[in-house]
Amino acid sequence: MKLGIESYCRITNEKVIVNDKTIAITCEQSWLTDIYHSAKISYPKFFKMDNLAKSGFLGSELALQPLEFDKNTIKEDIAVVCCNRSSSLDDDTSYQKTIQNNDDYYPSPAVFVYTLANIVTGEISIRNKTMGESAFYVMEQFNPQKFCSFAESAFLDSNIQACICGWVEYYNENCDVLFTYITRNSKNNKELNIDTIHTLYNL
Amino acid sequence: MEELILELKKEIIEVLNLEEITPEDIDTDAPLFGEGLGLDSIDALELMMLMQKNYGIKVDNSEKGKEIFKSIRVMAEFISNNRTK
Repeated sequence: MKLGIESYCRITNEKVIVNDKTIAITCEQSWLTDIYHSAKISYPKFFKMDNLAKSGFLGSELALQPLEFDKNTIKEDIAVVCCNRSSSLDDDTSYQKTIQNNDDYYPSPAVFVYTLANIVTGEISIRNKTMGESAFYVMEQFNPQKFCSFAESAFLDSNIQACICGWVEYYNENCDVLFTYITRNSKNNKELNIDTIHTLYNL
Repeated sequence: MEELILELKKEIIEVLNLEEITPEDIDTDAPLFGEGLGLDSIDALELMMLMQKNYGIKVDNSEKGKEIFKSIRVMAEFISNNRTK
């Protein structure tokens, strides 16, 4: 089995790179909203997401855009696998603020629903109508070896033909994203291995 | 009443993160759920919190909520008659 990366997207606080090309972002609002508008995405639910989900959504959207990915058909052979360091801590903190003070105790349902990291995989699956396996791993820091292992594990299911696999970290206004679209028996030159992932992350 | 309706529209846009919608886009008499703004169940919970936080009205009955959230006008009338803030 040769797994290959068909497309990828790298997002940090300073840059957006899709398949080796830096994407120009018009700075008008917040960084993630600016990326959304620059990529000409139309998905109003984006604005309801927390920053972690927005980061994962944008990473997957931009990685899939060059492939003209079919978002209208249900696909049971595509998995979604994500990983990060801070889990949903950024949104957990926001939620805590809504319940911190007894005199101002108004727990926000909209903030609460994102206090789970794997909501990101759900948002990506809903957007792309993928119904294969999904998983979210939390680890100490970005690790190319583990990234590859997580992606490979999705393909242990012989029904899975492709995987949207990403590192999606957002905490304290720091965005660090690498999304890949990986396929089985790829003819692409970009083979999924530790060196490739290391290189893409350090672009 | 018109002032309260406008205030309510602005608050709903802010609290529900309806980024690309302006108060003028919201039909005062249109249903809030099922069509129009396309609000979901989490939005309904968020509206209940808004009623409590901004107007001191506790909506703890989903059937009552359905009636109150029929439209912006119905919401505004209910707030006007029951507000404690």
